[in-house]
Amino acid sequence: MTPDQQAFLAKKKEKAAARRQRPEEKGELGMTSLMDIVSIIVVYLLKSYASDPVVINPTAGQKIPLSTADAPMQDGIPIFITLRGITFDNKKVVSMTADGDIDPTTVSNHLIGPLYDALAEEVDKAKQMAENTGKPWAARAILVGDQDLKFSALVDVMYTAGRAEFADYSFCVIRKS
Amino acid sequence: MPSKKFEEEEVQANLLPVMNIMFLLIPALLLAMEFASMASISVSPPRITNNPTEKPPEDPPKEKPLNLKVFVMEDGYRVSADSQQEGAEAGKTQDSSTPTIPLAKPGTPLNDYERYDYVALEAKVKQYKSLFPNETIVTISAESKIPMQAMINTMDALAGRSCKLGKALKGEAVPDDCYFWRTVMEGGA
Repeated sequence: MTPDQQAFLAKKKEKAAARRQRPEEKGELGMTSLMDIVSIIVVYLLKSYASDPVVINPTAGQKIPLSTADAPMQDGIPIFITLRGITFDNKKVVSMTADGDIDPTTVSNHLIGPLYDALAEEVDKAKQMAENTGKPWAARAILVGDQDLKFSALVDVMYTAGRAEFADYSFCVIRKS
Repeated sequence: MPSKKFEEEEVQANLLPVMNIMFLLIPALLLAMEFASMASISVSPPRITNNPTEKPPEDPPKEKPLNLKVFVMEDGYRVSADSQQEGAEAGKTQDSSTPTIPLAKPGTPLNDYERYDYVALEAKVKQYKSLFPNETIVTISAESKIPMQAMINTMDALAGRSCKLGKALKGEAVPDDCYFWRTVMEGGA
């Protein structure tokens, strides 16, 4: 090893020793930038949840139809119709047969008895609330169906909702990207 | 005996490892979330014309209404305007044996939603729209076993698959590529 190389190595060792002896610096976290990010995320998440007047949570196994429509969801009372049954206000009110038809014991002349009772009760509440708040009642039913739902079942639900004084219907769909 | 004096030391929590985990968790959770943007299609029940409480319009429309009707069958579409099916035999208002627009994929099961010829249906209603530019209403009905997705696809084709009504519903003008977007749904066979 040449003297130059030895001198270089000695210098390197000295530097390393000096670095080891130096007291450890405490790193401080800049909270401002962090709070910026967190606030942006909070606002974004709140906006994405609060944009629709009705929150639709599909039931397990339900395949909501896809559509090119882009009209936003309007205020209304959701009725979930799947191949297993009809759910209203988080309660399963009617079951379906294995063929995807509404249980025939609950249907009479297109009127689905248990669904009608549940809807009529809800309509009374909604009307009373509208009276108290001074806002007109929308009378809109949001039908959250399934891709494979038969048209006959859909018509029965619409007929029942009509008898329960609903005047407008809208189908809930997933926007095609 | 001299009492010992304890001095409280301020201990600052080391946030660095917590923040490391948080910064990994936030993108992981955002990626794991599945966003599905919902939309709605408004549908009206059939209007009962002999309703005594309903007042007749003060300024009746000058144009004769089109009364466009689309019936979704298991073997295609039956399209009729003013109670006359297009393509029906001479002297008949409708042809029960032949659909106006046959299936695009004959022999496929009902849950194959692409079995219907949506392109032909859209082309057909575009022709009607050019003849009746102010008409926006279509009556739609179907056979009992037709799945909901096929009905929705049919409504999309009738409205125009490139039709975007979101802005029009907020007061802007309805785009030219929107044909029959107000749907009246009738009970089927």
